[in-house]
Amino acid sequence: MNDTTDDIADESTDDAAGTPVLRVRGLRKQYGAGEGMVRAVDGVDLDIGAAETVAVMGPSGCGKSTLLHLLGGLERPSGGQVWLQGRRIDGIGEKALARMRRTDIGFVFQSFHLMEELTAVENVELPALLAGRSPRAARERAAQLLEQVGLAERAHFLPSALSGGQRQRVALARALSNEPPLVLADEPTGNLDSAATVEVLRLFESLHRRGQTLLIVTHDARIAATADRLISMRDGAFVDETRLGGGSTGRLGALVGLED
Amino acid sequence: MHQEVILAMLAKEPSHGYQLRARLREALGPLGEALNAGHVYVTLTRLEKAGLLAADDTDRSDRSDRSDRKVYALTPAGQQRVAEWIAEVSWPKPDLAQFHLKLITAAAAGLSDPLAILDAQRRELLRRLREAQRAAMAEPAHSDAALLLEGIVLRLQADLRWLEACEKNWTLRRNRS
Amino acid sequence: MGRILLVGRLAVRDLRRRRLETALLLLAIMAATTTLTLGLVLSEAAGDPYRSTREATNGPDVVAGVGRSAGLARLEELAGADGVVERGGPYPVLRARLQTSGGAWDVQAVGRRGADAPLDRPQLVRGGWVREGGVVVEAAFAAALDVGVGDRLTLDGEWFEVAGVAITAAMPPYPEAFCLLACRADGEPADTGAVAGSAREAVRNPGLLWLTEADVRGLTSDPDALGYVMNLKLADPDRAQAFVDANLRMGAQGAKGVPYLLSWQYILQESTELAQDAQVILVFGSWLLALLAVASIAVLVGGRMAEQSRRVGLLKAVGGTPGLVAAVLLAEYVVVAIVAGAAGLAAGALTAPLLTGPGTGLIGGAGTAPITVSTAGVVLAVAVAVAVAATCPPVVRAARPGTLGALAASVRPPRRVGWLIAVSARLPVPVLLAVRVAARRPRRLALTVAGIAITVSGIVVALSAGAGLAAQRLAGLYDAAQAALLGQVLFIVTLILLCLAGVNAVFLTWATVLDNRHLSALARALGATPAAMSAALAGAQVLPALAGAVLGIFPGGAVLLAVINAMNDNGNDAALPPLWQLLVVVAGTVLVVAVLTALPARLGGRRPVSRALQAEV
Ligand SMILES: Nc1ncnc2c1ncn2[C@@H]1O[C@H](COP(=O)(O)OP(=O)(O)OP(=O)(O)O)[C@@H](O)[C@H]1O
Ligand SMILES: [Mg+2]
Repeated sequence: MNDTTDDIADESTDDAAGTPVLRVRGLRKQYGAGEGMVRAVDGVDLDIGAAETVAVMGPSGCGKSTLLHLLGGLERPSGGQVWLQGRRIDGIGEKALARMRRTDIGFVFQSFHLMEELTAVENVELPALLAGRSPRAARERAAQLLEQVGLAERAHFLPSALSGGQRQRVALARALSNEPPLVLADEPTGNLDSAATVEVLRLFESLHRRGQTLLIVTHDARIAATADRLISMRDGAFVDETRLGGGSTGRLGALVGLED
Repeated sequence: MHQEVILAMLAKEPSHGYQLRARLREALGPLGEALNAGHVYVTLTRLEKAGLLAADDTDRSDRSDRSDRKVYALTPAGQQRVAEWIAEVSWPKPDLAQFHLKLITAAAAGLSDPLAILDAQRRELLRRLREAQRAAMAEPAHSDAALLLEGIVLRLQADLRWLEACEKNWTLRRNRS
Repeated sequence: MGRILLVGRLAVRDLRRRRLETALLLLAIMAATTTLTLGLVLSEAAGDPYRSTREATNGPDVVAGVGRSAGLARLEELAGADGVVERGGPYPVLRARLQTSGGAWDVQAVGRRGADAPLDRPQLVRGGWVREGGVVVEAAFAAALDVGVGDRLTLDGEWFEVAGVAITAAMPPYPEAFCLLACRADGEPADTGAVAGSAREAVRNPGLLWLTEADVRGLTSDPDALGYVMNLKLADPDRAQAFVDANLRMGAQGAKGVPYLLSWQYILQESTELAQDAQVILVFGSWLLALLAVASIAVLVGGRMAEQSRRVGLLKAVGGTPGLVAAVLLAEYVVVAIVAGAAGLAAGALTAPLLTGPGTGLIGGAGTAPITVSTAGVVLAVAVAVAVAATCPPVVRAARPGTLGALAASVRPPRRVGWLIAVSARLPVPVLLAVRVAARRPRRLALTVAGIAITVSGIVVALSAGAGLAAQRLAGLYDAAQAALLGQVLFIVTLILLCLAGVNAVFLTWATVLDNRHLSALARALGATPAAMSAALAGAQVLPALAGAVLGIFPGGAVLLAVINAMNDNGNDAALPPLWQLLVVVAGTVLVVAVLTALPARLGGRRPVSRALQAEV
């Protein structure tokens, strides 16, 4: 089983050399001016290939959320360039930005951000409705996604009736509603306990296996460990990058002292 | 592999070596794959010599391998040893001091940047975590092996958290100087 | 002492932290108290001014007059009739032409001696009583002429000075005054009690002046041009009309020189006819205004209460007793209520003359309506009562133990209206969002609909009344001056109504925008364009506005008109305005609401997404 996933990961690395889903050059974002100026993101370069999962880790306040917001079009950069599937997205108009958020990007938030008055399936179908899909098509797709995240029987529950892990799975299903080429997740397990984290973890793994491109910001080493690449961020810049993918050592036993 | 584990497995009933091996593999899941067959027999022989168990090769069925034909049983001394082992509270000690001193000495002698050492170490631990985690997810939930793998994942997480603390500390030190 | 200081500090700090909301709350309570002040002042002013004037001036029960000195004997006879206990006059009356720099008017000049007449002692509003060369002008006429004490005017070419301005109960105020003597072109006074009504066509609304007797006689050399008027007091004032009827029947046998008689009831009716019409407008206007003010306060206080629940939780968490919590919240509201109440009183006092002014002139009240102590007390009490009522729910909840977690946890969760959510899925994106935004707060939705319905029904009534006014003027029931007065009253009430409704619409949009910060940020994160979001936030007001406008016409306006018609027994039933006007009202309402809500909605829809999302965490 290890082998199969690794194969996919290896393929994706090859793909990345071709047309990256996301390409970032010299991205900067600063808040304020003069003395109080904060360089939240300070010259970031990044390429993410198709079907690649990239994790970003770093201490609190290093600019991870800001980076994701810039990439997701929730915030305007102060400088630098961003290409999404070969198209420049920095400096495009609000309307084009909205269209991009709608169809090219799925966002998952730490605090879920589900609409409380909408049921799970209504939450999931919302992006499709916003994108102008027919109500029936949107509903079908939402039901199918909930099935995928294992919540088919909870489709008509309100978020308040779901556990944290289930809510985050609904949020993930919502992010996938318009089949975006890139999913951005900002500390998706930040509000979850260990068991709920595993629920979400499994989901990310299966997404990864299905070839979804993912960029995850996290404090949780378990989430980071699912990534193909791990990027360490400090003071708004990338300081280290590790390729975690690659064949299994086949020496699991060594982990528990079964081997010497 | 602790000898006591093999002994304890015989406490239930006398068994063939291959039966012991199967039970071990079941309990360890993917971790047991690393266990080579010879290891069990070597241990059994060693224990037999120590008088902790007795081998009975009267069962002459169609097995060709000599050692496989033997049925092993605990001797009274073996039984006593198992009881002692069960009552023991010893615990494997993580050797953090060694890594800690590695950072300090490397920094003092200017051999290497402690932060670089930390990054490398983290990479290694993350790789292990990734491996353990994948293995854990492949296991059916609530199996014995899954439980063991969860323990590994949790320990690796704890180690990674300690590395984070180290990193914070060393970053501070560097900024101060 | 320390506790009081602490409570004060906490209250003031909270008010300053939410400046905008505090200002809005202040404004809403002020609007409500202004309206209330107006309502109270009006009801006092229109209470029974004729009766009070009658008492103050020792008004007559019956006024009798003759057109010629030849009739004086008949007047003497009347004075001796059964039931008469006191008499004043007879006084000479002369019809004259008054000229000021502003124009020429027909007047009736009554000759008086001292100010101490036994009956009908006109009460001076300004200046002094008649003197040689000095005239006193009836108050409403003075207002129409725009003359004051010291102004000069000519009567049939002779110069006089205005010595004073007075009110009387012996004659309806200008322009309702009737002829005391020859008003007709043929020089004959009307020969029956209906003199006033029938004479109207022939007379240019004679004004009333008092002069010294000598001055009146000095204006004409022909003694026959003088008429006489006499005031009578009866033993039983309630039988004044019967007295008039009895004596008229007797006198009708004679020919010329027959006196005419007017009962005080008749004068009362004539005096208050116009005032009643104005009164109906004002009463309904203030009802509508009060309803609107209550709606806006409900929105604001409701919004604040949700916030406050959180605050109460915090105060309790840091060790505040329920008593302290209550004191802090109460202090906040009482401060706001007193400031707003005082401002509302002042605003009401300033606006009241605009509304009562015309009425006062007509009915002869005492100048501008004063704000009495009781009015002020009631207004402030209501303001404080609003404050206390607003404080109660969070305080009561705070006093309940064990709800701390819930209190600290969250603001009022949005409502779910399942069928609306399902239906909205079929609509275009901005409408979908608008419906969902509106459906999250059903109570606010109801308030929006109600507010607009109230306003629109007010507009419908105003339109109908305006049309009625024009029609009645054409039919000669009102003259230009009267119609202008009523029109002014109508205009002011409508204007206040519209202002309050506008402020309300802005309140509601702000509340909606603030409440939906998170939703709109989230919708935009999911790909809604800012334009769609702004449209949705505005649409959340516009859609209910449309419903409200339609409801305001039917049943709102229609019912209101029916009620007004039932209360107004003058036989001139008001009808619904024509269809095209109604359509314009609906379209206009929707347009105005759209414009008023566009700015806050636009600001709300454009806030940076990431910040709005994070603020909520
Ligand atoms: N709107 C803002 N105005 C000013 N400064 C900001 C703003 N948003 C973020 N910052 C600053 O930018 C820096 C990066 O913030 P960011 O939220 O991206 O950190 P983070 O890495 O996500 O932290 P955490 O792990 O705690 O979520 C911080 O120093 C923060 O104070
Ligand atoms: Mg963050």
